[in-house]
This record gives sequence, C-alpha cells and structure tokens, in this order.
Amino acid sequence: MYVGIWLGLVVATVAEVVTRSLAGAASLLALIILLISSGKAITIAMYYQHLRYEDKRLAILPIAAVVGVIFLAVAAAMTMSMGM
Amino acid sequence: MTKDYEHTEESKSTYTPVILAAGIALVLFGLVIFLPLAVAGAIIVGAALFKLFKDGAEEKYAEFKESLEEKWPLDFLSKEKLGIWVFLVSEILIFGSLIVAYAFVRLSSNSWPVATQTHNVILGMSNTIILLTSSLAMVFGLYSIRGGNIKGLRIGLVSTFGLGATFLAIKLGYEWPQYYRNGFTISSGLPGSTYFLLTGLHAAHVGAGLVAVGYLLFRSFHGGFTSTKHSAVENIGLYWHFVDIVWMFLFPLFYLI
Repeated sequence: MYVGIWLGLVVATVAEVVTRSLAGAASLLALIILLISSGKAITIAMYYQHLRYEDKRLAILPIAAVVGVIFLAVAAAMTMSMGM
Repeated sequence: MTKDYEHTEESKSTYTPVILAAGIALVLFGLVIFLPLAVAGAIIVGAALFKLFKDGAEEKYAEFKESLEEKWPLDFLSKEKLGIWVFLVSEILIFGSLIVAYAFVRLSSNSWPVATQTHNVILGMSNTIILLTSSLAMVFGLYSIRGGNIKGLRIGLVSTFGLGATFLAIKLGYEWPQYYRNGFTISSGLPGSTYFLLTGLHAAHVGAGLVAVGYLLFRSFHGGFTSTKHSAVENIGLYWHFVDIVWMFLFPLFYLI
C-alpha cells in the first residue's frame, strides 16, 4: 500500500508541473496547483504519519495549529484589503 | 493526586529540556553580545543533548504512569509521542506564519519575477521526488522493525539518510550557488530574501533530521531496537514526514506559481 501511495504522490508532483505549463488564467492554475499540494500533504499526514490509524483525538493537535495559521492568513488578507 | 503518581513523577521527570533551552538562549545571547558566552552555551547544549540521547536510548520516557485525570484528554499517547506532536504543532506555526508572511509580501508587491525564470523546475521536482522517496524508506524501516527485522530497519534508515543528504547536496551544493551566480541572492530583493529564508529554514530542518536519522542508525547497529522497543524510530519518522509535508508547499510556492 505504501508504495502505491508513494507512486500516487510522485504522479501528483508531475501533475503539478504539467498544470504550470497549461494555458489558462494564472490564478486558476495556481489554485489547482495548491489544491494538489494540499492533497499531497494530507495524504502524507494520514498514511505516512499514520493519523488515519490513530485515535481521532490526536487530530486536535495538528488541526489547532492549522486553525492558528488560517487565523493569521485571514488577518493578513484583511490587512491587505484595507490597503495597509 | 495519588501516592503512586507522586512516585512516578519523581522517577520520570527531567530538567534536561529546561537546561537545553537555557543553553540555546545562552548561545543566541552570546552571539549577539559576547562570543565566549555562546561557547559556554554550546557546551551546555551538547551536554543536554547527550543526556537526552542517553535517556532516549534507555526509552526512559516512553511509557506513562500518571493517573487518568492527569492524562486526559490525550491518555492514549505516550509521553514521547505527545512531546513530538506538541513540537510538530510549534513547527506548523513557525512554517505557517512564514508562508503567510511570504504570501502577504508577494501579493502586496507590484511586480514579482516569474517562478520558472528564476527557479529550476526540474531540480525542484527532482528534490520533491527524492524527499517523497525518503519518507517511503522511513516507513519501510519502521515496518521492518515492527516485524523484528533489524536488517530492514537499517536499509530503511540508510536509504532515508542517503536521500536526505542528496536533497541537501542538490539544494546547497548546486542550486543555491547557481542562483548566486545569476544574481538571485538573499540581499537581491524580497523574492530572494523570502526564498532563501524559507528554503534555508527547511534545509536546516532536513539537516537536523539527518542528525536524528544518524542517531537511529547508530542505535540500530548497537542493538538499540527490537520489535517491541522502537518508539524513537516512530517519533523521528513523524518529524521526517513533517519536513516532507513542508516541502510539498514550498515547492509549488517558489518553483511553480
């Protein structure tokens, strides 16, 4: 199974590079690439870090940190929208 | 608090992390005001790390003995595993904050160089695949030792170390010098500053991971692991996979978008 996951991650990496060379709106392509990256990161956390097989309560820790980062991102976006 | 807990607390507690933190603070303080202080700090850090490695080799903190009320809500985790996850939480916040700062700077700038003009996409993709493969090797090592296969563990660890070192060699030995020759440096503007800060911090983490994997390798050749005693492999593996996850974001942000 882990070799299959690795193969999937490699294919996703190549897909990111191919997406970069496609014609289309830059912001849309960037969004697609970042979605693929997020999928890769979640796959590594779920399978290689075994979060999928751990007690669900363990997810509290990484999710709390990610919420903190999202809070920062929202604050940065609000600052930008105010032209600061 | 039960009497049993008091006894366990006495035998399972350590001041080593506090001493390590004080040593690191002394190193940083010394670097700014008085170099001999930094040397003293480095000696303290070395001694604390030696003590931590010694405790780790004895798996001194692998098991918890606290009463239930002391353990809740993470009563299913060993102290070591809880420690590594709390550490990873702090790492998520560090890298997350820097990535948000990078996005803020980049989106606020009037112009930004096209990624494919400043960065070598093929090198970046190769390094991504190298890191992904090193994570697979680490998982292979963990599953080997879980089944009591020490040779498999060693193969997994040697592969992880080799691939991690290759990643660093490509980044620091080839890619960075190439950028410097092209005038893309840490002081050439915001694109350079953000790139070298984030990838440099990541490379430092890969370097620290290599030290940790080297430690595992050393222990694996000195009878340090069995099918029931291998928590260090699992915990350092969690860190190694985290370093891999961070690169999954740095690669597209700097090389593709």
